[in-house]
Amino acid sequence: MAVGTPPGAVAPQPQRAKVAGAGFSWAAALFLAPATFLLAVFLVFPAVYTVFLSFNRGRGGQFTEWVGFDNFLRLFTQDPNFLRLGFPPSGALWNNLLWLIVYTSLCVLFGLIIAVMATRVRYEALIKGIVFLPMAIAPAAIAIMWRFVYASDSNTGLLNALLGNVGAGPISLLGNPDTVNWAVIAVGIWGSVGFATVILSAAIKGISSEVLEAARMDGASETQIFWRVIVPMVSLPISVVAVTLVVNVIKLFDLIYVMTSGGPGTSSRVIAFSMYVDAFESGLYGYGAAIAIVMLALLIPIMAFNVKRFRTEAVQQ
Amino acid sequence: MRKFRFMAPAMVAVLVLAACGNGDDPGDGDGEVAEGDGAIVVTSLWGGTEQEAFEAVLAAFTEETGIEAEYEANRTDYETVLRTRIQGGNPPDVAIIPGIGNVRSLARDGSLIPMSELGIAQSDIEGNYAPGILDVGVVDDELYGIMVKLNSKSTIFYSPERFAEMGVEPATTWDELVQLTEDIKAAGSTPWAIGAGADSEWTLTDWFEVTYLKMHGTEAYDALFSPDGDWTDQTVVDTISKVLEIVNEDNVAGGINGALQTAFVDAVGLVFGSSPSAELYYGGGFVGGIATGEDVNPELQGQEGEAIDWFDFPTIDGNGAGLVTYGGDVMAALVADSDVAEFMEYLTTAEAGQVWAEGGTIISPIVEVDTSVYPTVLIQQEAEQVTSAEAVRFDGADLMPPEPSLGFLLQDAIRGEDLGALLEEFQTQMSNAWAQE
Amino acid sequence: MTALQDTTVGARPRTASERIVKWISRAPVHIILGLIGLVWLVPTIGLFVTSFRPSADMRATGWWTVLLEPRFTTSSYERVLEAEGMGQAFLNSVFITVPSTLAPLVIACMAAFALAWVKFPFRDTIFLVIIGLMMVPVQIGFIPLVTGFSQTGLLTNYGAVWLAHAAYALPFGIFLLRNFFITLPKDLIEAARIDGASNWGIFRTIVVPLSVPAIAAYGIFQFLWVWNDLLMALVYAQRNAIQPMTVKVTTLLGTYATEWSLLAAAAFLIMVVPVIVFISLQRYFVQGLLAGSVK
Repeated sequence: MAVGTPPGAVAPQPQRAKVAGAGFSWAAALFLAPATFLLAVFLVFPAVYTVFLSFNRGRGGQFTEWVGFDNFLRLFTQDPNFLRLGFPPSGALWNNLLWLIVYTSLCVLFGLIIAVMATRVRYEALIKGIVFLPMAIAPAAIAIMWRFVYASDSNTGLLNALLGNVGAGPISLLGNPDTVNWAVIAVGIWGSVGFATVILSAAIKGISSEVLEAARMDGASETQIFWRVIVPMVSLPISVVAVTLVVNVIKLFDLIYVMTSGGPGTSSRVIAFSMYVDAFESGLYGYGAAIAIVMLALLIPIMAFNVKRFRTEAVQQ
Repeated sequence: MRKFRFMAPAMVAVLVLAACGNGDDPGDGDGEVAEGDGAIVVTSLWGGTEQEAFEAVLAAFTEETGIEAEYEANRTDYETVLRTRIQGGNPPDVAIIPGIGNVRSLARDGSLIPMSELGIAQSDIEGNYAPGILDVGVVDDELYGIMVKLNSKSTIFYSPERFAEMGVEPATTWDELVQLTEDIKAAGSTPWAIGAGADSEWTLTDWFEVTYLKMHGTEAYDALFSPDGDWTDQTVVDTISKVLEIVNEDNVAGGINGALQTAFVDAVGLVFGSSPSAELYYGGGFVGGIATGEDVNPELQGQEGEAIDWFDFPTIDGNGAGLVTYGGDVMAALVADSDVAEFMEYLTTAEAGQVWAEGGTIISPIVEVDTSVYPTVLIQQEAEQVTSAEAVRFDGADLMPPEPSLGFLLQDAIRGEDLGALLEEFQTQMSNAWAQE
Repeated sequence: MTALQDTTVGARPRTASERIVKWISRAPVHIILGLIGLVWLVPTIGLFVTSFRPSADMRATGWWTVLLEPRFTTSSYERVLEAEGMGQAFLNSVFITVPSTLAPLVIACMAAFALAWVKFPFRDTIFLVIIGLMMVPVQIGFIPLVTGFSQTGLLTNYGAVWLAHAAYALPFGIFLLRNFFITLPKDLIEAARIDGASNWGIFRTIVVPLSVPAIAAYGIFQFLWVWNDLLMALVYAQRNAIQPMTVKVTTLLGTYATEWSLLAAAAFLIMVVPVIVFISLQRYFVQGLLAGSVK
């Protein structure tokens, strides 16, 4: 029954090992106490509980019947809503992968392009502000906004009205399983490009103008400068932005829930959505716990990356 | 917020206990029920006119017993809210359980109180109901859910006035129905309104079930909607093809895309709203109440029989006369106390059935309720259809595990996807789901 | 100076004709940026306009026709606030967000201070653990916490959602604030210690006042995060009466799927406060973002 303990479960040991000895500080303990309490009770302990529940049938959220890896096996091999390896593949996990690749790369790309273009104009702050504004808007509200834009009636939906003006018929992007994911990814990009733009803009400003001038004088075109000078020099901020976006993808829920409810059918589900539905709507708590563990597992590499990155930076201090 | 810190030890202890414990203990099975506190909470997903009708029943109950009954509606995500409440140890006293798959699941979770524990034996109340109706709520030989209301699902709604204008008449056979569809198109209108959009995909399952029952009879129907069902069978393919003869791009308001974007109430509105654009709506008997209700067109009230009426779902190739599909809601107890026991008993009485029937949206499953109490001719006819039917069958999709969804399958089917592949996958998932229960 | 207000780099054109030439050569950039501006503004404007349109109009014509035939009403807002309960939901959003912002703020400050300026064993390990905890998804806690909260009666009042939000916000907050705290002048703090100041004194009189930008940044971050959150509220606020606007609007969507005037009004009510907070305090917000992401 030994299971690899998740990283979260390790936390209590060092925190509670405030052993009396040289260096033990009551002050530190007091300052850390509220945080320690909240983290232990609401983060760490539930995480451990959920890990164990994922190996259980979990009727009613209790430990009713040990099932070993069965939940995970079923998740990956017998649940087409979660993952169907076919041609083309489908399922919630696949959708997350789609998001991961398309959403992340396009947010970074558009963010860079907008950041670079914005440096050339006087209204830079304004355009960056406009693009950044959706970051303040609730995904639920963004979902409603864009459902409205995508509405399939050309008297209501802006998109179809525009299409109607050029003679194309009304299309139902959200009602068609083949287009729904792209339509929602587009909205996701709309909401997050501002984040990439702002961060990358700051990074680009850090590039010394001499380097850029030198490249220009060497006869490089703007496109070449973009790809061969700017992008490599901001590769670290790009990776930071990309990592943040990847985390967004894995946790994606609000937008899907309000825009499509995972539909039509189950074609636009993502794993966070599946977890909620399977656990709370269908009452399959053990199964839902397994999905939560899958989410955690997907995030662990990022966790490790963050920890490692911070460690190397800390060493450098 | 700081005061919560002091609850720390308590919280930790509770969480540890929750992990080891077994949730709420519903009480012993020795027939001795705990004393209630004089109030019960009932939840369901009904709103609008359905809610009003039910609240009248609650009021009558309170008047008779003095027990307060509070109704809580959860119009959206009903199952989720219910399960979270149960799992959190805070269930309502009584709840409508949508879908028999959920009844089975909740019963086996231990979240439902068997009627026997409340002092209600199935044999005692069996006589109040038409044969087979109570059995729908039985899980593992125990009665958990009592059918509280039902509606025929073999009714096609139309406007007699407009039919007269178009010079057409209701159909009695499938071929006549197809012809009727063509005639309506020739008269310049759109024949069918279908609401099969998100959250309304169950309307397609109704189409499938009534067609299947009429085409293949009660034995095949019972087999299909059971753990032994074979969804790859030719009868299923034939049924879906049959449905597609009518439910297709040419006959449906807004085309298939439109249908997949329309919610069921809106589709009813397409036929009966103030500016109608379609002529036929197939659905349950409750459509009448909805069409004349505030959600669609209250002006139709009083015009039942003239501006709104229904005809029987037709026979198909000579088969299916007297066979009726119906849908119903089952009510279960989640807490065992004397108030709840009294409430469940009250629901099995003719009085409760009558009060509910007077609300005009449903048919009471209690046989003693006289059809004259139904307020409109539409419902009286519906009650007669159900009671005089040769055989009635409960909504098949509601009998099966909720996932995989038959509604989603049918949405894909009307969208034109490969039926063979869809059915194969559905069969695999469905047999898994039955096995998991 | 915020990142958004940085001035452009490059030699300024001197004569009028130089300026015109430069402007024209930049034309593609202007056009593209103009389009981008449109794409990013128009949906919001469309929603805004729709929220003021009478329902009948909204069903008949597109909101863009409003330019030709302006006809406005506040009836959607009135209806959504009163009859549909968004007014109560708005208050709920406030009641949920404020404590969920203040609590982790205070708690994270304290923890970050200890991790930055108080020596104790395993300090760095603990900090690394907290960095790791930043990635734990909220889903991990749903099932056990819902049971636990319900059994202690917190699920039907704000308690559950406050505690959950506070807890899950801590790792990021501690990370952000601790990184800021260690950039404070060491001498200042050493001097205060030598003068006999207690840790609490140093915290209160030196660290916090000097860290206002970082604290403000985290506060705004958290405020926006909680106000705009849907999932946590869906799971931890299990009573209709305490649900915030994000949850309420999804209920409305279920009942009134095509009543766009109503839905637009509801969506705007959700947007108003964060957008104002964001616009007026964007400086801090952006700084916070940058501090958390780029070194």
